[in-house]
Amino acid sequence: MNVELFINNSALPRTRYIGWAPSPCSIHLSNLTGVTGPVTVELRNKPPAKGGRFVFRRTLTGPSTTTLRLVLPAKGAAVNFFMLGQFPHASFADRDAVVQVRSGAHVLLEVPLMVRIRKNANLLGTAEVSRFVAAFATFNNQGLGRFVDFRNMHVAASSPEAHGAPGFLPWHRAYLLDLERELQAIDPSVALPYWRFDQPAPKIFSLGFLGVSNSLGTVQFSATNPLQFWRTDGVTGITRRPLFNTTTSGASVITEAQTFALGTQYAPFSAMEGNPHGNAHTSFGGSISSIPTAARDPLFFLLHANVDRLWAKWQRLNSRYNAGQLASFGPTGTNRIGHNVNDTMWPWNQITAPPRPSTAPGGSLANSAVATAPGSKPRVGDLIDYQGVVAPAGRVGFDYDDVRFA
Amino acid sequence: MKAKKKSKAKVKAKAKKPAAASTSSYWAAVSSTKKTTKQRIDALSRLPAALCEDRTKFNEVLAILRDTTQSSSLRRATLQIIQSASFSAPNFEVCRPDYLATLRALVTDPDLELRQRALGMLAREHDGSTQRLLVDGLEEPSRAVVPPEKALQLLGYDIHTDVYAIARKIAANPPNEAARIEALRLLGADTASVPMFEAMLQDKKEKVDARRLAASALQALVPDKLQGYARDIVQDETDDDDVKATSLTALTDLGHAGTVSDALYQSVDKIRSKSKSTALKQSARRFIDKYRR
Repeated sequence: MNVELFINNSALPRTRYIGWAPSPCSIHLSNLTGVTGPVTVELRNKPPAKGGRFVFRRTLTGPSTTTLRLVLPAKGAAVNFFMLGQFPHASFADRDAVVQVRSGAHVLLEVPLMVRIRKNANLLGTAEVSRFVAAFATFNNQGLGRFVDFRNMHVAASSPEAHGAPGFLPWHRAYLLDLERELQAIDPSVALPYWRFDQPAPKIFSLGFLGVSNSLGTVQFSATNPLQFWRTDGVTGITRRPLFNTTTSGASVITEAQTFALGTQYAPFSAMEGNPHGNAHTSFGGSISSIPTAARDPLFFLLHANVDRLWAKWQRLNSRYNAGQLASFGPTGTNRIGHNVNDTMWPWNQITAPPRPSTAPGGSLANSAVATAPGSKPRVGDLIDYQGVVAPAGRVGFDYDDVRFA
Repeated sequence: MKAKKKSKAKVKAKAKKPAAASTSSYWAAVSSTKKTTKQRIDALSRLPAALCEDRTKFNEVLAILRDTTQSSSLRRATLQIIQSASFSAPNFEVCRPDYLATLRALVTDPDLELRQRALGMLAREHDGSTQRLLVDGLEEPSRAVVPPEKALQLLGYDIHTDVYAIARKIAANPPNEAARIEALRLLGADTASVPMFEAMLQDKKEKVDARRLAASALQALVPDKLQGYARDIVQDETDDDDVKATSLTALTDLGHAGTVSDALYQSVDKIRSKSKSTALKQSARRFIDKYRR
């Protein structure tokens, strides 16, 4: 007698990544030799739980438990349940959490998985940093890799698609998600970390991570850092000149608390596009300080991960997951194209007729092994219920280390 | 009942007024010569979203930026705040021509920091007049508005073949080491510079930073050749540890298993266990982890 466990609706290893939002799972008996009746099994975190931890729910809205007892039908029918990361216990490495399935004292199955979470980049461990920069450098592939498309998505001509209107936050959320999924195709253990720009971040601005700027603003890397091969637009290296002391202070931005105080409705809250977002960008000289060149610097993606985390945290504080509510997105229907709840977003919609830009680099939004949302041609509204709070199928497959499931 | 409704309406109207009054007072503070620099900067920082809504007031702010009698800190803060607004203000496109015109006026400003930042912003917008100014300054140093290394760095925002010619000249005969390094960075996509980079990488007397840059350029221009050089460097016990570490990083992150011979693997394993350089040991460990046998 064996059991088979499906995580995120599959038995494949590439689906064994969960976050704080519930992932659909199932279990059934396989190889029914010797099975004479229903079998009771218990699922649990295999001890000792040194890395990520998870809990179970029998139903989507039921209580979370650290163990789960299920009765499996004798003929092999599947029993559904949910698994979710136990906040705040994220994994440190791939497969550092293990689901153990037992029948009595007998262990039937052990499946390793990862509680994969976007973390504060300044608090990452050495191995986590190493995996992230390696994946990013591979993605860039000295300027020849797929990163070219992501660089070309954020240029002057495409700025109206992404800035200065209500779709700013959803567009960038989709942009980060697309990039993260591409990185995960290289190394599935990678999650996009965020730069907490209102705090000092000496580890981020170090030779082994995103580099140290010399007085000219040319970023230096250690000889072991693969980002030393970073190239964009035919030029090796990164130009970034901090206008603040990256070791001892944050950027010239409002605090997290001040950001949330902008308003409990989306419209006033979205003023954060100016400060802290715009201020974070312009706390440097160099590529990241101008829209046409900002995406040439890998720091851009960590900056925007923090912008997105602030939005996610604000959403949780104010229960703003329903795209149909004014409070969650603001007025819709009369905004510029690409900034209404039901608009598809460039470039993923591949529309190049005016008023959209004349090219659409990158193709559709990347698929994920762990979630079906937001689809290959997402609408603005598809990025609002990112944890699947309103509709479970809306879960897109990322979470932040300090924003639990609603 | 009517009286109650009226007074409720009055309270609501009164509650709305402070927001409008604040914006007006911030604008007034920005322009006021009676306020301190700190007060004026603070007032500016509260305006980003509104910055471009009123073209007249926006142009007053631009005037502060152009005014060399204003304090440096006020002018620099003004520049940063306008730049921040360019990221988000819904109607900034309307203001952009005036903004760019002001930046062009700053390229010969007596404040070096403002000059450099304005030039940077214009270079990132691929402003043709800025590029010509930078190239002119490199060709005739008496006309330079920024140091040569800065000019080269800014030209990197829009590489043209004519920039390669100047960069090659400076790489061969640099006014200073910083300018040389920036010239080498620019040449990282110049196929005509391959022989120069090959010679640089193999020259053990060459500066380590230059050799590492050469490795990076060759990895992009002639990747298979660079991988070959990297294998040789790693197995050369007399070569520099940082150059070896860079070579190992290229082999690990940008190479493939088919090119890893037993001799190379054993060489790297020896480095992993015996090297006194932490960086080199670390890069050797990563190599072994990837190509483990």
